[in-house]
Amino acid sequence: MDWFAFFEKWIWLGFAAVGFAILFNVPKRTLWVIFLMGALGGAAKLLTLSLGGGIILGSFAGALLVGFLSIGAAHFKHSPPFVFAIPAVIPMVPGAFAYRMMLGIIRLTEQVDPNSFNQLLDDTVTNGLKAFFVLMALSVGVSAPMLLTRRESAKEMKVPLKINELIKK
Amino acid sequence: MLMHIKEEMINKLCKLLLEIGALLMSSGANSSRIRITITRIANSYGYNAELLITHRALMLTLFDEEKDYFFSRLKRTSPHGANFKMVSGISRMSWKIVEEKWDLNQIQQELERLKSLPHYSRLTTLLMVGLAGASFCRLFGGSYIDMLIAFSATVAGLFIRQEAVKKAFNPYLAIFFAALSSSVIAGATVKLQLGTHPDFAFATSVLYLIPGIPLINSLSDLLDGNLMNGIVRGMNGLIIALSIAAGLLCAILMYNI
Repeated sequence: MDWFAFFEKWIWLGFAAVGFAILFNVPKRTLWVIFLMGALGGAAKLLTLSLGGGIILGSFAGALLVGFLSIGAAHFKHSPPFVFAIPAVIPMVPGAFAYRMMLGIIRLTEQVDPNSFNQLLDDTVTNGLKAFFVLMALSVGVSAPMLLTRRESAKEMKVPLKINELIKK
Repeated sequence: MLMHIKEEMINKLCKLLLEIGALLMSSGANSSRIRITITRIANSYGYNAELLITHRALMLTLFDEEKDYFFSRLKRTSPHGANFKMVSGISRMSWKIVEEKWDLNQIQQELERLKSLPHYSRLTTLLMVGLAGASFCRLFGGSYIDMLIAFSATVAGLFIRQEAVKKAFNPYLAIFFAALSSSVIAGATVKLQLGTHPDFAFATSVLYLIPGIPLINSLSDLLDGNLMNGIVRGMNGLIIALSIAAGLLCAILMYNI
């Protein structure tokens, strides 16, 4: 694998996450954490894709990593975990699939010539299903720490890394 | 007399809780977070809270089991615009209320303070979201020229959307205008064959509009069992996707690409 290209992608993934974080008006102290989490989550997705997993499995791996990191980040920066998790997974949200599905649906209402009809229907259904399942993978991945520990709040969870003590030293 | 004071206090608490719920709803929190936050605050004052959450209204009943006394109120929530500073601030406040035994006036003051917190400046937002658009273009495999095209299309589209929201257009129409202007700018370069992969710039120029929060909150509500809210939020996300697609389609028809 070309490592330079891989790390270059990290930077762009991070900026994509930060752009959305600013659009959602997150607290300033969380910005660089979101940059890191967006980059790491995106890298996990790219790694899974390059190991032969599909886009759904890749998104799940990325979201799972972001979900677990967001619990640590919540303790570290004192904000609810989803403030970190949502901007970090937004670059993975299948927006392109969703609007391509909509474009397909709009086109299906026009008079389609029978030869290209099957291709168009196929694209529309594939894009729609991919959008749905990627979204499902993202939200299961992000909420996995909560579901697994059966807690309602990240504050009741013990963070094994003891990040707070490390910072105080 | 004592009963009267108590009545006033429960009335005020109910109003504050509904305001907190409405702020959380319009700032982009999911349903279970709203329920947990409101129950946590109500419990710290010794009341039980039952909450009905819908997309555009909240209904809250507070009751005191010993005295068999209850209080209900309904509140409309304002239109949605993500603001995570508010969500984060309210979450911190709810823990302080439990731990430091705040009184109601303190909550009121903190809410006023949170509402007055500044957003990022318009220029910062435009530039950073533009950079995010350029990043998407790079990730799709575009060159630096394509990134520049995606950047300018994103900045122009977001500017149009902000203006349309300011002029109080229908929110879906505002998204349509933004998608149209972004794709008209990016589509011109496809028509003129500028850059190496202008089609990548065209595909990524509208990505800043994707309904990420409605769609993710939709699925997390569905997983929680709040099926109604999940379906409503998902539908909202789909209508936003439809507005984006309509804007793109107009540009495609205009340039015939």
